[in-house]
Amino acid sequence: MADTAASAGAGSSGTRSGSKQSTNPADNYHLARRRTLQVVVSSLLTEAGFESAEKASVETLTEMLQSYISEIGRSAKSYCEHTARTQPTLSDIVVTLVEMGFNVDTLPAYAKRSQRMVITAPPVTNQPVTPKALTAGQNRPHPPHIPSHFPEFPDPHTYIKTPTYREPVSDYQVLREKAASQRRDVERALTRFMAKTGETQSLFKDDVSTFPLIAARPFTIPYLTALLPSELEMQQMEETDSSEQDEQTDTENLPLHISTDDSGAEKENTSVLQQNPSLSGSRNGEENIIDNPYLRPVKKPKIRRKK
Amino acid sequence: MNRKKGDKGFESPRPYKTTHQVVCINNINFQRKSVVGFVELTIFPTVANLNRIKLNSKQCRIYRVRVNDLEAAFIYNDPTLEVCHNESKQRNLNYFSNAYAAAVSAVDPDAGNGELCIKVPSELWKHVDELKVLKIHINFSLDQPKGGLHFVVPSIEGSMAERGAHVFSCGYQNSTRFWFPCVDSYSELCTWKLEFTVDAAMVAVSNGDLVETVYTHDMRKKTFHYMLTIPTAASNISLAIGPFEILVDPYMHEVTHFCLPQLLPLLKHTTSYLHEVFEFYEEILTCRYPYSCFKTVFIDEAYVEVAAYASMSIFSTNLLHSAMIIDETPLTRRCLAQSLAQQFFGCFISRMSWSDEWVLKGISGYIYGLWMKKTFGVNEYRHWIKEELDKIVAYELKTGGVLLHPIFGGGKEKDNPASHLHFSIKHPHTLSWEYYTMFQCKAHLVMRLIENRISMEFMLQVFNKLLSLASTASSQKFQSHMWSQMLVSTSGFLKSISNVSGKDIQPLIKQWFFRDQSGVVKFYGSFAFNRKRNVLELEIKQDYTSPGTQKYVGPLKVTVQELDGSFNHTLQIEENSLKHDIPCHSKSRRCRNKKKKIPLMNGEEVDMDLSAMDADSPLLWIRIDPDMSVLRKVEFEQADFMWQYQLRYERDVVAQQESILALEKFPTPASRLALTDILDQEQCFYRVRMSACFCLAKIANSMVSTWTGPPAMKSLFTRMFCCKTCPNIVKTNNFLSFQSYFLQKTMPVAMALLRDVHNLCPKEVLTFILDLIKYNDNRKNKFSDNYYRAEMIDALANSVTPAVSVNNEVRTVDNLSPDVRLILEEITRFLNMEKLLPSYRHTITVSCLRAIRVLQKNGHVPSDPALFKSYAEYGHFVDIRIAALEAVVDYTKVDRSYEELQWLLNMIQTDPVPYVRHKILNMLTKNPPFTKNMESPLCNEALVDQLWKLMNSGTSHDWRLRCGAVDLYFTLFGLSRPSCLPLPELGLVLNLKEKKAVLNPTIIPEAVAGNQFSNSQDEEEIDMDTVHDSQAFISHHLNMLERPSTPVCSQYRTLLYHKHFYQEHKKKKKKHKHKHKHKHKHDSRERDKEPLTYHSPAGGRSLRSPSLSD
Repeated sequence: MADTAASAGAGSSGTRSGSKQSTNPADNYHLARRRTLQVVVSSLLTEAGFESAEKASVETLTEMLQSYISEIGRSAKSYCEHTARTQPTLSDIVVTLVEMGFNVDTLPAYAKRSQRMVITAPPVTNQPVTPKALTAGQNRPHPPHIPSHFPEFPDPHTYIKTPTYREPVSDYQVLREKAASQRRDVERALTRFMAKTGETQSLFKDDVSTFPLIAARPFTIPYLTALLPSELEMQQMEETDSSEQDEQTDTENLPLHISTDDSGAEKENTSVLQQNPSLSGSRNGEENIIDNPYLRPVKKPKIRRKK
Repeated sequence: MNRKKGDKGFESPRPYKTTHQVVCINNINFQRKSVVGFVELTIFPTVANLNRIKLNSKQCRIYRVRVNDLEAAFIYNDPTLEVCHNESKQRNLNYFSNAYAAAVSAVDPDAGNGELCIKVPSELWKHVDELKVLKIHINFSLDQPKGGLHFVVPSIEGSMAERGAHVFSCGYQNSTRFWFPCVDSYSELCTWKLEFTVDAAMVAVSNGDLVETVYTHDMRKKTFHYMLTIPTAASNISLAIGPFEILVDPYMHEVTHFCLPQLLPLLKHTTSYLHEVFEFYEEILTCRYPYSCFKTVFIDEAYVEVAAYASMSIFSTNLLHSAMIIDETPLTRRCLAQSLAQQFFGCFISRMSWSDEWVLKGISGYIYGLWMKKTFGVNEYRHWIKEELDKIVAYELKTGGVLLHPIFGGGKEKDNPASHLHFSIKHPHTLSWEYYTMFQCKAHLVMRLIENRISMEFMLQVFNKLLSLASTASSQKFQSHMWSQMLVSTSGFLKSISNVSGKDIQPLIKQWFFRDQSGVVKFYGSFAFNRKRNVLELEIKQDYTSPGTQKYVGPLKVTVQELDGSFNHTLQIEENSLKHDIPCHSKSRRCRNKKKKIPLMNGEEVDMDLSAMDADSPLLWIRIDPDMSVLRKVEFEQADFMWQYQLRYERDVVAQQESILALEKFPTPASRLALTDILDQEQCFYRVRMSACFCLAKIANSMVSTWTGPPAMKSLFTRMFCCKTCPNIVKTNNFLSFQSYFLQKTMPVAMALLRDVHNLCPKEVLTFILDLIKYNDNRKNKFSDNYYRAEMIDALANSVTPAVSVNNEVRTVDNLSPDVRLILEEITRFLNMEKLLPSYRHTITVSCLRAIRVLQKNGHVPSDPALFKSYAEYGHFVDIRIAALEAVVDYTKVDRSYEELQWLLNMIQTDPVPYVRHKILNMLTKNPPFTKNMESPLCNEALVDQLWKLMNSGTSHDWRLRCGAVDLYFTLFGLSRPSCLPLPELGLVLNLKEKKAVLNPTIIPEAVAGNQFSNSQDEEEIDMDTVHDSQAFISHHLNMLERPSTPVCSQYRTLLYHKHFYQEHKKKKKKHKHKHKHKHKHDSRERDKEPLTYHSPAGGRSLRSPSLSD
């Protein structure tokens, strides 16, 4: 029954697409089903004593029957899933029928009625093969802790990786060629774009577009752009130059190097001066005791002092 | 009077002595660019009747002067503001130069003069008679200074500190008077107290020790207190204020570096080397750095790249660089070393007078040279010496001798010691900048000659003696009168040389200092080998008649490389002996047909292929004066194979370079091979290899019809720098080996100079260069490739040849040749990429602009200055501006555009950056739109007036600029009256205002032109009188305070005229003969013609009957 329901469900969508293309094997399958249903409806009508029926009313009845069976299938599936199963059981169907207001008890008697007509089985048509989307690689078997009824793993490419099989270009010359032309193209496109969107200058008065030069624009602080390396270069430089971050400018106004009094500072200063500069290299690490007048804290004005 | 005894010969030209000076600047306004402050000088009179004190001050507005707290009257008069006052039609340069020299010496502190004259209050006269101390307190302000102090205020949002606004002192020679009143002389030493109150976010850097920094009461500003206890001349005082980042030198904590915001990483890298320079100097001078601290400040819009002041140096911020930059690193280090050398000699040790300047420049240049030798090696040093020698030789041969000691040996004050020049050399402020550079260059070369004579050891002992005397003196109190020991003088220096070394250097001094002989020696050498006597007959001729040359008498070293070794011979060059016989050591030369081991000068033995030699002579090569111990130019003739041997086997880089130069004249396959071998030799000095590239290109062009194989250097380059598998693709950049880096940069530039039979650059070469650009890949390189790429653009520009033009058609895109189209494509792309990813110092933009100008000049692209003018605007990086301005200057010349010339002249007057203004004048002088002998539509009266105004009054705030304007005027119009001016009507001008008649000197040239005697002498004489006038003029004005007057021609009277004129002829005869012979040959010839063309009816009568009607 569930099969019927599923197929009926599929059938409705099948008819819709069937109008477009009748040669499709899937459509044929659905058409055959529907024909069987029509036969069923017709035989039931004959059983009920009808001699003939209009095609339209047969169609309507077929539709109704199909809907009914579909509903049974859908409901039954819901019930079975509700109890965490994937395959509906008989009880599911019974509950469904009860729910739909059908008296189940009458069913065996109806099935065994004498005047029932036997219909030939529908012609065997192949179940349409649902086209498998990209079967790449082997699906992984379930690991032991997962019960086998659980759905299979999806295709590995969807969650592991998709290996591509393009042969990499290894020829040096071609590589260089490619890199060069790629860079050139990018640069050209970029500069052209900039030239198109901004102001330009031209070497030729009659033709502004062939060799467009981005207009020269003065900077407010020209030396910064001229001297500072670009961010990319800066990064490279930092990798090579691992010198300590300079804190001196920050500490300029902070009282980190407070010397006890003036004379002490002077003394220290002179002692620094007396050292031979050739020895000064060894003092390199002792950053903390640098006494430089520019690093000393700024003094507060003395109130008493008059200028 | 007992004071003078202590001075040991130095007599101050001033009637007083300064002991201490306080400079206090309490307000600096960046918005209005103004400065308010006061100075206080403590002086001791040295004469009893001192009642007037003359100080230097320019631009400053002086509010109040007090002497010992008493109000004092003062007069401010600056004749240099406007050199020629009277609105005469006087327009000749001789007149101006003399008037200018007079004006400058009228305020020269070394002549006891000054712009500011303070009357000592009568109450103090008694005090003065007792020679007691005087304190002069002067309140002053500066508003929008045009020189001396330079404000840089970027126009963006934010506070001044956020904007990076800064100010610094600058100027050429003694220019401190531009920003505070002082005795602006290098010979007036005193101790200093300096105070600067600045915004709390700013730092004030000045000379001496920073004693303390104190907040003002409102806590918004702080005051920097500096003390300089070492006696220092006012001219060595400097200041820099800005929101500087501070870096204490990690090796020497007493050294502090300052730079503008955001540049700290660059500063760190740039200064990381400085301590080694310190160590070097202290070691060779065996003397500690004289000041207790040292500061370096890197600022924008610098006046000069390096300026050294007492205990601090101001550098251009453009010297800063990161670790990725190769080319700038040695240049910056050289600047650092130069400034440090000047700290010892120039700042700590000062000079007595202007004529002793050469000693300071010489010593600092010399020890800087020693540092170069130590740091960059002997090759680099010798190459540098050779370069400097070539420079001075070229300059002296062009313009005449450079005098190191302008008034050596006394002599008549009146004579202009350098009559061949258009400016006076008696004062630093009248010197042309180019002359001054050459002067420095010559000074250190002469110092090297002295070293050659007395040995380096003695030389260093002399320096040490000077320094230790000075440092003893510096620690003394003023009263001991020792301070003059800190001043160096020529005679003192020479004396201590003879004391220390015991050697007589008089001949040397005579040769290089005496006035009449200033100049270089020009040798012509040739030789013949006498086989019978086995003697080398060497002939050495001298040219000492051309301007700028002199005769050399004395020893001359000649080195002869023979088969058996290298031999030095010292020849005595005498008056008449031209031929010198030199015996050869190598006897037979039968056995050696092929290869042989030849011993070289340095003891090395090398295998030589001797098959190229002349079979009869054992001589491989000959060198005259190999050690460059004479300032000379040698033109020596020897066979091509000798030059080739010299290039291949001589180990001295100078010899190699000489032979490269000589081989240009021998385009043979053998020369080609020799050059290629040199290029290939890795151990050869890279600069030699670089010049070999250019020589090879020249040879290839001369041999174009017989040249076989691929274009010169191509296969070599391919082998060195291209991939093994694909020879058309250059390797990815790796500049770790600097030698190959420089070679890699240079070779394509030289290759682009190759031309085929049609005089076009071979297609193969162009494709090759374009491929280099295309495949350039710097991703894996540790260094930046911006200089390399810039050179590739230079190479493209070099490959451009004149366009084939049909009927002068207008240049359009459609008729571009395909090659030029490719070149233009590259230039466009590079220039545009620079906007997005700027390169260091915008080297690529600079090269692109130059290349575009080349394309314009060769007629591929329509000639148009608009692009360059936009790049020349203020706000672009200075290198770009200069390159653009150079193109505009060139355009002005080629297209004779009046509009562009006006634009340039306008920029000279209005541009905010002094260096750019100076540079425009300099470039216009080097590449003038027309010269004095040329007819040009540009040469008109308005231009003369404009330029005259520029040098007369428009540039009074900057000595260098004014001298630049004088140079330009000289190049355009010559010494005499510009030919485009109409003749004045009158012989005499009556100045009604001053109630005196003045001879109109402009007519004299025409009037006497028929005469054999030179006209210009007369003008000169007239001006000579004005010299005296101006000397007296300040005192003259003191007597007539109420009367405004002019500095020149003030006492000129008609009555004196005739007498004066004839005197003149007698006096000047000797001198102008000399003049005629040399420099002014053309002038006079031209002038002889002048009366015919420009003779005015007034001209004739002007001489005889000067009319008084006006």
